[in-house]
Amino acid sequence: MNAVLLVARREISVRGRTKGYRYGLLVTAVLVALLASLPALMGSGSEHTIGVAGAQADRLRAALTAQDTADADLTIQVKPYADEAAARAAVASDEVDAAVVDNATVVSKSVVGTGLSAILDTVHRAVAVEENLRAAGLDPARVGQAQQVRPLTEVTLHGSGEDATIRRVIAITIVVILFMLLIQICTWVAMGVVEEKGSRIVEILLTAVRPWQLLAGKTLGLGVLGLSQLLVIAGAGLAAAQLTGAVPRLPDGTYGVVAGAVGWFLLGYAFYAAMFAAIASLVSRQEELSGVLTPATMLLMASYLVGFVAAQEPDGTLTHVLSIVPPFSAMVMPVRSAVTEVPLWESALAAGAMLAAAAVVLFIGGRVYRRAVMRTGAKVRLREAFGMAS
Amino acid sequence: MLEVDRLEKRYGDTVALDGVSLSVGPGEMFGFVGANGAGKTTTMRIVMGVLAADGGEVRWKGEPAGFETRRRFGYMPEERGLYAKMRVREQVEYFGRIAGVDAATARRSADTLIERLGLGPRRDDHVDGLSLGNQQRVQLAVALIHQPEALVLDEPFSGLDPIAVDALADVLAERRAAGVPVVFSSHQLDLVERLCDSVGIIKAGRMVATGTVAELRARESRKLLRIVVAGAEPGWTDRLSGTILTKAEAPAGDRAGERVDDVVLAPADDQQALHVAVEAGRVQHFAWQEPSLAEIFREVVA
Repeated sequence: MNAVLLVARREISVRGRTKGYRYGLLVTAVLVALLASLPALMGSGSEHTIGVAGAQADRLRAALTAQDTADADLTIQVKPYADEAAARAAVASDEVDAAVVDNATVVSKSVVGTGLSAILDTVHRAVAVEENLRAAGLDPARVGQAQQVRPLTEVTLHGSGEDATIRRVIAITIVVILFMLLIQICTWVAMGVVEEKGSRIVEILLTAVRPWQLLAGKTLGLGVLGLSQLLVIAGAGLAAAQLTGAVPRLPDGTYGVVAGAVGWFLLGYAFYAAMFAAIASLVSRQEELSGVLTPATMLLMASYLVGFVAAQEPDGTLTHVLSIVPPFSAMVMPVRSAVTEVPLWESALAAGAMLAAAAVVLFIGGRVYRRAVMRTGAKVRLREAFGMAS
Repeated sequence: MLEVDRLEKRYGDTVALDGVSLSVGPGEMFGFVGANGAGKTTTMRIVMGVLAADGGEVRWKGEPAGFETRRRFGYMPEERGLYAKMRVREQVEYFGRIAGVDAATARRSADTLIERLGLGPRRDDHVDGLSLGNQQRVQLAVALIHQPEALVLDEPFSGLDPIAVDALADVLAERRAAGVPVVFSSHQLDLVERLCDSVGIIKAGRMVATGTVAELRARESRKLLRIVVAGAEPGWTDRLSGTILTKAEAPAGDRAGERVDDVVLAPADDQQALHVAVEAGRVQHFAWQEPSLAEIFREVVA
């Protein structure tokens, strides 16, 4: 077997069997599954049970039933009561959410919610107007015809309001997961580099494999772990959405957005893993690691924060620019594509730029790693690692 | 034949190696000795390609040693390096695999070596749970797993108990019998003397003596006289010309209460020493001393 694959396989088997990895994966998958079920729970439509009593109770009932059939998201049950006292008792015992008496009074336990209030208001007006028109001597049939009004057709520039919320939730979930995974896996890469350097395992390894093979194998192995983690998480999310029936509610192109996020993870990982590995090769002890990694962690953190901003303002100039500029694009572009439509050429440009940036960092990082990884003891200065010092 | 030819290495203004040369033939065991910081580790790291030399060359079978050649060497670095969180057998196998051994052979060799080095009951333990001595055995197994064509071992015996030393010596002897050149460094000179065919002594980056132990002895012999005199007055040794290295008052011989002096002398004039000894008392022993490796070492390194 190829040396790179052997190194990668070791990383996967040793890291993958740690408790931290397994439990971490489990917890994240459960969290994402919960998040994915959220649209189903949130937008599950509304259910109301309404009591009617007194004058015009029958008409109210008919009007409410008409509302029920008109809107698929709405379920209205109507219960007739003999008189106001019975209706009040039903409200008090939570048999109904509210009761309309004589088409003049609404009885409820506390303030009626806006959704229900709007329904009751509509029904009340319709029945009252019908009654008034009839009283004015109009033909009931024509009154009925006049009441047939086509509801307003909604045209929204950024999808429906509900859509926008779900898209935002998806975007934020993506940015959080990308950030967590990148920082976790890249830190593993860095720790692995220091483990091998600090314990001098590299001395033996590098008599058998080339530095680039060692680095590539390590990055590949941990990357596979990260990717499988991402796929499990994405799978758990989509499966939960499927099971809870949230899928029809998922905005168009959600699958594409998730697939895109996986692609962006790979690009971001190549970039940051090379950077973390090169920096880690400068030191010999784990205690020194967090100190030297700070600039790289800050960069990742900054991308993360910008990703958040992008989720809120997908059309802002900052979002627009940083969704193209690497390495920010690795976090901002998937978020932007989740929230709004991104022209294909912009996605392609961003991916190309990120790919180029990753290639540059891989090249420089590999160089630094090769020079620094054998130099144990004091921290190696970057200048020396680049070979600029004498 | 492993040849090291005039290696040079500088760190800034410090000269670490100044023309170090040595050669180890097939089935030869070469003991590399020298004080701390003399350049043993640097030389071995250059041989393994872990460190780049500023000048000179390492050759294997007459050809400059490259990466592919060195892959077939076995190496035990000065500072031990093992993955703490890997099991013994898994680890030994892994190093075999990356050295190019196929899976089945790596597994078989790992089992054999683990058994030979007395690690059988520990095969599934994590390395960080092992004693230092056992970790060192694992390190040795790692160096041997791929049936190396040459062995370069930096201080393989340090920290081992006598039983582990014997086990390791056995394994090395077996490799040597298979025609593998073995280079190892050690501060345990008696061990080097016992095991090695040839010895190299390095001092401040220069080889000050190389050859078989017998050759070194011949070079260093007729330098030290051992004189044992009975019944002499105290202070007679002051009349000896040269440097007295050791002086001991031996326990009484056949006559009770009689004084016996045992002196090791680097004489300025051996005949003068003989006269002094004969005048002082009854001479029981007067002979050139066969130097031990430790004495040769002190002599050349001083």
